Amino acid sequence: MKRDLVLSQVFRIVSYVVFSIILLMFVLVILGGIRYFSMSFFMEYPRNNMREGGIFPAILGSFYLMVLTFIVAVPLGVFTGVFLSEWENFFTKWIDVSLTSLSGIPSIVYGLFGLAFFCVALGFGTSMLAAALTLSLMTLPVIASATKETLKAIPVELREAAYALGATKIEVIFKVLIPAAKRGIVTAVLVGGGRALGETAPVLLTGAVFYSTFLPRSVFSPVMTLPTHIYYIMMAYGEKAQWMARATAAFLLIVVAIIYSLAFYLRRREHGRSH
Amino acid sequence: MDVVIEIVNFSAYYGDKQVVRDVSMKIFRNKITAIIGPSGCGKTTLLRSINRMNDHLPGFRVEGKIFFEGQDVYASNLDVTEYRKKVGMVFQKPTPFPMSVYDNVAFGPRIHGIRDKRLLDQIVENALRRAALWDEVKGELHKPATQLSGGQQQRLCIARALAVEPEVLLLDEPTSALDPISTQKIEMLLEELSEYYTIVIVTHNIAQAVRIADYIAFMYRGELIEYGPTRDIIERPKHKLTEEYLTGKIG
Ligand SMILES: Nc1ncnc2c1ncn2[C@@H]1O[C@H](COP(=O)(O)OP(=O)(O)OP(=O)(O)O)[C@@H](O)[C@H]1O
Ligand SMILES: [Mg+2]
Repeated sequence: MKRDLVLSQVFRIVSYVVFSIILLMFVLVILGGIRYFSMSFFMEYPRNNMREGGIFPAILGSFYLMVLTFIVAVPLGVFTGVFLSEWENFFTKWIDVSLTSLSGIPSIVYGLFGLAFFCVALGFGTSMLAAALTLSLMTLPVIASATKETLKAIPVELREAAYALGATKIEVIFKVLIPAAKRGIVTAVLVGGGRALGETAPVLLTGAVFYSTFLPRSVFSPVMTLPTHIYYIMMAYGEKAQWMARATAAFLLIVVAIIYSLAFYLRRREHGRSH
Repeated sequence: MDVVIEIVNFSAYYGDKQVVRDVSMKIFRNKITAIIGPSGCGKTTLLRSINRMNDHLPGFRVEGKIFFEGQDVYASNLDVTEYRKKVGMVFQKPTPFPMSVYDNVAFGPRIHGIRDKRLLDQIVENALRRAALWDEVKGELHKPATQLSGGQQQRLCIARALAVEPEVLLLDEPTSALDPISTQKIEMLLEELSEYYTIVIVTHNIAQAVRIADYIAFMYRGELIEYGPTRDIIERPKHKLTEEYLTGKIG
């Protein structure tokens, strides 16, 4: 009993420390950048070697990239998840294991693969399309395993109730299971999207341009994105441009935090409902 | 009398374990047949064998035959989804789909191809009326079904089953998760429904079987020990086991 008490105190202190560090990071990054926020920062192009202007093309580029990534990764991920959950056999188990190990691969490796495969082998060049496909490859496992887990958690009674009404397997999947798993899937999509939004290395290698005075005209154009913008400024520009990196970092962190909060909120509602 | 379902020398196994032993019985049209017996005696297995809900369970297999209106239910050419339209099922725990009350009831008709909005409205209303739920939900057809009370959810599941116009309704302990008032409502409802449907109900509750059933089947360790009109079973059980079960000596 006494040991339990001590142990629980230790856990509590450790979790407070970890939480404080994370909070500190948030506060420092956001405070460091938020004072540069202005209308023109969000609406204008960068000017004068990044010393003035704003990050409009990077915001739009990140947004386009995320939408394109979703268009590829969401349907594929959901289908894969359904397949893994509803057709359990040796083959799907094997896919499942490979998917799990995919999430352990460092993102730079995805970047190199994307560069070799999408940019070079398929001839997409440094483009939004190549970057989106690379990011899709990274988010697909997240969406697929979350879809699978959510479907598996649906009580067997619900499936049986649908079968008892004369539904076919396809009808059970599309009319009962996927609607029932909707929130879980949306949560996974948000988590995947949040990650994709912050990814730097794979985008640098496959689709990023450090400065652009025009918006991407097609999926074959390269893009500016928020994280790669920060990276380029830090690597290549002088002291006078640092404010833009700080402000961009603050903005990126806020956006990602909002996306994750939304995901967290949906997940909690999901759990609240099933009781 | 008109036989709807005929069970002939039927046995069921999970792997090597036999849980239904050589059961033969006839189920009559527009009657309520109750299957009673101690826990684990095979009631659920027998009931679910009627609409082939056990097919997908690993290791499940059957011997003997079940006929629905003369058609061999386990024949390889039987269209199972089409067959299940005629034999509806209600489970022990209410199983509303996570969608609106309306969409729950319209689920069956929709998957069977009914698209016309007015026709669907009509079907939903009729089914809810038959399930004695219409008056309670008519103002909130579009609220999530999961927000209904347990008893309402179970009647919704009955309405949902009725909406595909089955001939038979199978119920597995439909009131065991409900309070006495909801239970009473459902019992009254089943008696009314037996005018239109053939009802087979599994129950642990002997009093319930006596109250609503026209026929009682008593099972013990997978065997059908005794089957007949409720009166006969209650007043003049032929088998010692039946008497012991009814008087609470086994169970
Ligand atoms: N999926 C399954 N796999 C293996 N054995 C099973 C399975 N389902 C039931 N059984 C076994 O079959 C036997 C009969 O079970 P069944 O559920 O038909 O009994 P029951 O009469 O409905 O019991 P209860 O009154 O507790 O609901 C039990 O011994 C049970 O353990
Ligand atoms: Mg049972």
